[in-house]
Amino acid sequence: MLSKSQAKVFFLGGTGLFSAAFLALTVDTHRKVPAQTRQADITPAVARGKRIWEHNNCMGCHTLFGEGAYYAPELTKAVERRGKPWLRMFLKDPAAMFPNDRKMVNYHFNDGQIDDVIAFLDWCGHVDLNGFPAKPPLAEKMKATSAAPVVTMKPIPPIFDTMACTGCHSIGGKGGAAGVALGAPPLDEVYKRKSKAEIATWISDPQKIKPDTKMPKLPLSPAQVTEIADFLSSLGN
Amino acid sequence: MKFASQKVAYWFFASAMLLFVLQLVYGFIMGFAHIGMDGLHEWIPFNTARAVHTNLLVFWLLLGFMGAAYFIIPDEADCELFSVKLAYVQLIAFLAVGVTAIVGYHFNIWEGRKFLEIPRPLDYLVVVDVLLFLANIGLTVMRGKRYTTTSIVLYMGLLFAALLYLPGMISFDNQTMDSFYRWWVVHLWVEGVWELIMGGILCYLLIKLTGVDREVVEKWLYIIVGLTFLSGILGTGHHYYYIGTPRYWLIVGGIFSALEPLAFLGMAIYALAMAKKGGRKHPNKIALTWSLGCAIMACVGAGFLGIAHTIPQVNMFTHGTLVTAMHGHLAFWGAYAMIVLAIMAYAMPLLTGRKLWDSPLATWAFWTSNIGMSAMTGAFAVAGITQVNLERRMGLDFLAVQHEIEMHFIGLLLAASLFTVGIGCFIWNFLRHGLPTDEALGADIEAS
Repeated sequence: MLSKSQAKVFFLGGTGLFSAAFLALTVDTHRKVPAQTRQADITPAVARGKRIWEHNNCMGCHTLFGEGAYYAPELTKAVERRGKPWLRMFLKDPAAMFPNDRKMVNYHFNDGQIDDVIAFLDWCGHVDLNGFPAKPPLAEKMKATSAAPVVTMKPIPPIFDTMACTGCHSIGGKGGAAGVALGAPPLDEVYKRKSKAEIATWISDPQKIKPDTKMPKLPLSPAQVTEIADFLSSLGN
Repeated sequence: MKFASQKVAYWFFASAMLLFVLQLVYGFIMGFAHIGMDGLHEWIPFNTARAVHTNLLVFWLLLGFMGAAYFIIPDEADCELFSVKLAYVQLIAFLAVGVTAIVGYHFNIWEGRKFLEIPRPLDYLVVVDVLLFLANIGLTVMRGKRYTTTSIVLYMGLLFAALLYLPGMISFDNQTMDSFYRWWVVHLWVEGVWELIMGGILCYLLIKLTGVDREVVEKWLYIIVGLTFLSGILGTGHHYYYIGTPRYWLIVGGIFSALEPLAFLGMAIYALAMAKKGGRKHPNKIALTWSLGCAIMACVGAGFLGIAHTIPQVNMFTHGTLVTAMHGHLAFWGAYAMIVLAIMAYAMPLLTGRKLWDSPLATWAFWTSNIGMSAMTGAFAVAGITQVNLERRMGLDFLAVQHEIEMHFIGLLLAASLFTVGIGCFIWNFLRHGLPTDEALGADIEAS
């Protein structure tokens, strides 16, 4: 049977050996990480974005690279998923983008800071994470069972992207990822349910008509309201 | 107790209990926020509650470890503590740093790196404070000239915990490297050196409570902590699967994480075997119950629930979901909270001379808190697995899934209430012991 001194040798020897192996792997990791993470793409804006990320403890709600807290979405692929215009508008006033829902603190970022945060998230989205986050394996199977999306033939005006409408709503079979949860309908056939005037009133201030709606009041000028309403009602022609 | 200076341990234990209560309050704030009751959002947003909840845990556990060391080391070294005054200074300074950090979190002042949120200037104060503590303990061991394995293992655990705090202070512009070294602190603490501390305390309790020969208990302590380091050091790799580090960490982390439950299983078998072997019966049964409970719950929470999601193929989908919270809660409760409560259950009668171990309250505290925590783990598991399936496997939007799993958070809150009742019983029993007194000197209750 093992004696106490042999047990001690096992402890000290094992610890020494595996610590050495760990240090060797650490050295190798240092050598490989710059290429794997595209370290050369870390611009001053990315570095500033990271500091904003830390100084507001974003990890206290969100995960990044799957690390953090589980109260708010994983952000590694946020730029790819939502697009920069949507993120820009969201960061200006987060609670306004999800009325009557889970809240994010408004940090009152200026435009430069917003650009830095987006630059940081964009860099994160391009790091090789060994396949994380995986594409949802069951999503394709589910899609096969649902109806094919309506495809609008007309070209979509750029305002639908710049004002981030397509973040929540799909139009012409594109966009709408953020709105699935919120029940945001596709915009292709809105003309069947609403007149041009009704569309204009609605998008000017959704909560005035339906206080518990999840649709935010976007900062649209009267001209933009008209442009959107005109286009959506023209789809019926 | 043998030495008057051991009384200082009481104040560490009492402070730990106070912070524990506060930790539970912030836990409830988070639980309610998850079901949409976020009325405190303006003053205590979720990220504040989360940082306070986890940091308070670390603070109170460290206070518990320090208290345990101040109680155990004089006994093991067979001499008075080097300086009682220094111990009080160190306690007050540690509390001041902790409270400052936590108040700061309410004003958006932090470093914002998970578990290591405290701002840099306070980091340095923590280091100074821990050095004072280590000096005090180290000088006591040297003065006593009685070097037992138990005290050496406990001391090494505390020393390396202090050293490993340092890599967390290196900063990088690269998020991947930042995370890489953050885990040197977090993982190598909880799945490395903290287990030395836990092993040291458990070993001391087993020697005292079971009456098994010191040589036998300590020999197995070496084996258990040896297994811990053998699996735990390279097991750090399970944090390096998907953060931008090389692919070989999937293999290294996968293999060594699979060995981690063995160390915990070894710990549980060790504790149970020693308890069975012990011919003599110690009257403080509840302390032994906490000690054995600790070894078993650590095995379930840290060991088996750990491996349940450190398999790389599983972790691809569970990484960054509530499944982590499931593992985290039972692991910290079993391995670390329970060992601190065990040493308190053992030490309190000796410090105060009041033998309250037969009190039904003490039994209620053990069972209610453990059943409550097990139910909380269950609620996190159901919520986590549902989240994994809906969000990660079917691709539904994050918020939609969060609304689907809200009802499991109601279950969580109910289980947490039960847990809180248990902790309430423990603290009430703690308070009933009264203050430590010199009259308890020499009233050591050996296994008889």
